[in-house]
Amino acid sequence: MSHSSTSRIQEYIGDPVSDTPPVAREQLEEIFQDIQADLRFDHELNGCLNCGICTATCPAAHYYDFSPREIVQLLWTENLEGIYDAMQEKIWSCAQCYTCAARCPFGNSPGGLVMLMRETAIKHGMESAKSVLRPFSRVMLKLISTGNQLSPDMINPEGFADWGPNVSKVDAPLTTLRKAIPMPTLHTTKTAWEVNLKTSVELYTIWEETGVLDSLETIDENLFDVILDIMDEKRDDYEDWMDEQDDD
Amino acid sequence: MTTGNGNGDNKGGERFTGHGAEWTDANLSQKDAQVATVWVEQIVNKRSMLTNKDRVEDVRDAMWELEKDGEIVVHRINDQHQPAMVKTLYGWDKKIPTNQLWHHKSCGQCGNIPGYPASLLWLMNKMDIRYLDETDQTSCTAWNYHGSGIGNIESLAAVFLRNFHQAYVSAKAQGLPEGYYYPLVHCGTSFGNYKEVRGYLLHSAKLRDRVKTILGKLGRLVDGKLLIPEEIVHYSEWVHVMRDRIKEHQVIDCSNIRATVHPACHVYKMVPEDAIYDDDILEGNRLAVTTGVLETLGTQVIDYSTWYDCCGFGFRHIISEREFTRSFAIDRKLRVAQEEARADMMIGHDTGCITTLDKNQWIGAAVGKPVELPVLADCQFAALVCGAHPYKIVQSHWHASPTEHLFDKLGIDWQAKKKEFEEYLKDVEAGRGESLYDPRLMITSGPGYKAVEHKGD
Repeated sequence: MSHSSTSRIQEYIGDPVSDTPPVAREQLEEIFQDIQADLRFDHELNGCLNCGICTATCPAAHYYDFSPREIVQLLWTENLEGIYDAMQEKIWSCAQCYTCAARCPFGNSPGGLVMLMRETAIKHGMESAKSVLRPFSRVMLKLISTGNQLSPDMINPEGFADWGPNVSKVDAPLTTLRKAIPMPTLHTTKTAWEVNLKTSVELYTIWEETGVLDSLETIDENLFDVILDIMDEKRDDYEDWMDEQDDD
Repeated sequence: MTTGNGNGDNKGGERFTGHGAEWTDANLSQKDAQVATVWVEQIVNKRSMLTNKDRVEDVRDAMWELEKDGEIVVHRINDQHQPAMVKTLYGWDKKIPTNQLWHHKSCGQCGNIPGYPASLLWLMNKMDIRYLDETDQTSCTAWNYHGSGIGNIESLAAVFLRNFHQAYVSAKAQGLPEGYYYPLVHCGTSFGNYKEVRGYLLHSAKLRDRVKTILGKLGRLVDGKLLIPEEIVHYSEWVHVMRDRIKEHQVIDCSNIRATVHPACHVYKMVPEDAIYDDDILEGNRLAVTTGVLETLGTQVIDYSTWYDCCGFGFRHIISEREFTRSFAIDRKLRVAQEEARADMMIGHDTGCITTLDKNQWIGAAVGKPVELPVLADCQFAALVCGAHPYKIVQSHWHASPTEHLFDKLGIDWQAKKKEFEEYLKDVEAGRGESLYDPRLMITSGPGYKAVEHKGD
């Protein structure tokens, strides 16, 4: 919760000259250990001389209080309070273009490190992650339940008013326009292409086995429940089909 | 106190600030200031900025070692795929299959730019390329991952290996051998993500073990081993190596077109050592794909100062930080292309970029920054000048940018073509729509599958 008389640092980390309790050291260490435990960490962080070439070329740094150099420095110097603070807001500014990674003379990947911090923010159920991801829930629902991340019915003038009146230049029902695409796999409106039932079921197994559903439950319990229902239904459909094959 | 503006022009209120009291203005003339900083333009954004690393390794070396040790199976590109060789960033060879291709579709392209994959398949039909477009494919899931952080290295790796395994076995549905079709990745983010994940799989026995268990449960191992592709190939690389053959089908002259290219970050900044460069294409300083085909087709490719910048897509930003996305797209790409390069079009090779640059133009007028620049993918433009229908095939009605301006300049009577298409929609509604391939082939297993014998050589 924000408070007008406190800074972000005071709010999340604690002010050393006030009575506000700081985030427990153990918690800060646990968060850092989770970031560091990822097998990508050592590959993506190799050293830093503060040259700033990453920040100079970073699109997010043009518009936000965000610096990939700062992210690398915080992790390199193991500044636990600073890492925690950056996870409240800054890491969500990164546009994930990897320009920083392509440029860094040390072969660091600040964009990749940001992803490890985002994953950890989700694992720890941070409020920042919950609020940032709320508007993204429709994409997550689509992806996890269908195996597609975007569908034609998501792109409409109501949802994207700032894209203007020309999002479709031919006036016809969406179903007709989709059938007019000369690729039969694309004759769909709720998914980008027709996804085989067997394929969706395989994807659910991947989500379960890799802990993705656990992350989802941490961040959005309602969404998790909806997705579980959809998955169960599709699994039942697939099992019914398998039974029919056995009968035949 | 400093009073200059850095250009020797002491206009009040236009000085640099934030340098501290010791800073003094050099008072250079504008010309001298330009000379003093020109080295930045010469070096920054050029290929040399990507090749300054001490430790670069070719992960394919590790791949061959693992295959030799019996740990993995490599899906090879061999003679049946009619490969073409290209050079990558460090001059390494990369093998690009040109035939028998499995289309790894892009959710963003299929969802909102369907003329993108349709144009690619149309070009393949023109050149008698065998391919398969099927329903047993998931998204790479990387858009969601980069946008939200939901997902992890194991889920990304398992999805990658599942899809590529399906490509490997898909031909069995037509009575053809495993390995017949080779995966061709349509989306730039899938391409970058898969390359990165392949690197981690080849380096981490722990990751291989974890993922192997999952792939085993799915029945997606080959002889009990993980299947790794010899190369990960983006469709723009196929277009690149086929550019001379594409030109043989060209029917529309485009030498009057000034083209700008927007290269996709996940195509050449992720795993940059695998991106294609060619000394004959913009002196080897720019990624070769897309520019190569545009030059071959005869357009004037214009370099511009923000060529290296991303488009502003941002994965999450295009959904929930739209101010960032549209500001970046307009200020750093579209207006620069329009005003500095005086471009007739901007051509890209990735899903998110095309969406961002195409859709975020109209809003510019609201803040006094009107932009009107046609935006298409390279294969759409190539198909167009080879005679593809601008609506039936290129599906330009899904584009918000003024593609009609480009059609006018190419001499295409788009009003007549649009009318034809609107008439054609009646056929579609009556169930007489056209298809680029036999629709029976699109289901290779599971519900709806019916065996179809392979016809051909």
